[in-house]
Amino acid sequence: MSASRLKQLKSQILPDKIIAMAGSPSPLTTHVLNTAMGVPGSNMSLSLYRQDPSTNAWNLITTGTTNDDGRCPGLITKQSFTSGVYKMHFETAQYWASMGETCFYPHVEIVFTINDPGQKYHIPLLLSRFSYSTYRGS
Amino acid sequence: MMAAAESGPLTTHVLNTADGVPAARMALSLHRLDSRLMIWTMLSVGTTNKDGRCPGLISRETFTPGMYKLRFETGSYWDSLGQTSFYPYVEVVFTISEPEQRFHLPLLMSRFSYSTYRGS
Repeated sequence: MSASRLKQLKSQILPDKIIAMAGSPSPLTTHVLNTAMGVPGSNMSLSLYRQDPSTNAWNLITTGTTNDDGRCPGLITKQSFTSGVYKMHFETAQYWASMGETCFYPHVEIVFTINDPGQKYHIPLLLSRFSYSTYRGS
Repeated sequence: MMAAAESGPLTTHVLNTADGVPAARMALSLHRLDSRLMIWTMLSVGTTNKDGRCPGLISRETFTPGMYKLRFETGSYWDSLGQTSFYPYVEVVFTISEPEQRFHLPLLMSRFSYSTYRGS
């Protein structure tokens, strides 16, 4: 089998982005959905924070932007994912402004407690200009 | 009596969607962002009644345009029912540009999910 044919087969079995991600996927994931338009909420800025239990200050862990599918892989590594109180911050008004619309919510912050960091946690945000919802998924 | 109290420009209603009941006796607070100092000022604090409502959050005169935050003490609420909750509290931050309108901000919540919307 030629090298180019092998490469072609490999890219069909393992999409490039999975090859690029070293180590295991983030134990914490999100998914932003634009429920008003029935599309993923893509190109939305977001950030993840962990609260310092002694000072109550929020420490930034990562910032990112949702991809075409409304997801943001690589939020946190398994090693960094310790028990504690975390916060996901979504730049919702900025997102709607980029489409020429206003939004009732300048941003959305979801604060949650992780007691068992061995589990997987999925924190979706279902959003319109005037409503949002979230739930703990896996 | 209730009609007069509910006629404030900003109201809320907290529903426990897991148990299918109003979320009674939940502490909550309303804050406005001081845009010059960039700090939150607490405007009122209260507890939901047995219907999950909290009348008298703010008066028409005080309700000026700006960025507001409603903070719901959901963690304490579930704690008082002997249960844990994924969310220690819920804060809903919203922008008021037309304070002459009525704004109803319900919170529908369970131990592992919540939703909110702008009603009237």
